[in-house]
Amino acid sequence: MRLNGSLVASDAFEKHLINRRRKRAWGVKAIGFTLMLTSMVDMFSMLVVFLLQTFSSSPEILVSKGIELPNSLTPDIVKEAPVLSINRDGNLYLDQKLVGITKQITKKPSLLMNKLNTIKSDWAKSHSTPFPAEINLQADKEVSSTTVSTVMGMLTSGQYQSIQLAVIGR
Amino acid sequence: MRKKTGLGGKKDLNADLNLTPFIDLLSTMVCFLLITAVWIDIGSVEIKQSHGTQASESKKVTYDLDVVFKNPTSLRLNLKRKGRTVKSFNVKSENFESTMSQMNSIVQNKVLKYKNKAIEIATATITPRSSVNYGNLISTLDVLRSNKIINIGVLSAKGQ
Repeated sequence: MRLNGSLVASDAFEKHLINRRRKRAWGVKAIGFTLMLTSMVDMFSMLVVFLLQTFSSSPEILVSKGIELPNSLTPDIVKEAPVLSINRDGNLYLDQKLVGITKQITKKPSLLMNKLNTIKSDWAKSHSTPFPAEINLQADKEVSSTTVSTVMGMLTSGQYQSIQLAVIGR
Repeated sequence: MRKKTGLGGKKDLNADLNLTPFIDLLSTMVCFLLITAVWIDIGSVEIKQSHGTQASESKKVTYDLDVVFKNPTSLRLNLKRKGRTVKSFNVKSENFESTMSQMNSIVQNKVLKYKNKAIEIATATITPRSSVNYGNLISTLDVLRSNKIINIGVLSAKGQ
């Protein structure tokens, strides 16, 4: 008996026959397959819209490994400048290159100052505009604030007055 | 067979969209956007270490604010005018978060409304301590910046 396009059994034996037929039909595999283009185009469009919304053209800085940046409620846009990083393990990096151990650098800052001066002189060679005196400072949130402030003092004496502290915006 | 009506042939109302270039374009865009996507929102907090800012050069009556940390849960706010402390406020609480909220209310209600007059803070200076970590320092900067105190410096303290 057929009801609304599907088979319906009137008694137990007919039910058994219908079930057997269905089971046989499940065993047959389709040779080819069709790609559901409508769903794929839908998914692509949604992905494109989402990614376009999250797209940002502002400059980005690399966060060094071993640094957990603190969160901030009032962040500004990051500016393109050299990046100085103070890691949790106590190492100091300038543009991802190891300068030395922070404690030693704070006692004897000549190594860092030489590298900062090189950046300044390279800038003067390639640009006609005055040096912007900006630097990005990354530090782990567990690092002591006195260590960060001592490094800031060194940067100020090296004529890097505008210090951008890297944070994670909420 | 299509039946002719009138002089011109009847146009088919259903248009077929050529899907191949459409999918090509979408996949290229998805690849480009995925490669250039930035998942962590990194911002910056500006610190001006130099003395004598544009704000202090203005002719308005301005004050300076010193934030002196004793420990993460205790600090002192010194309101200064022409280098002399005119008023001090002690902030102390059980934990750092409540200290920051207390500091925020003092800055809003007592510092920026000193003697019931709206005043302007030209520069703020933070004196850190070794017991105060960098995350706490950023939270303090947040409190000041949220109260429109922009020219902030950090004293390079030794030891403590």
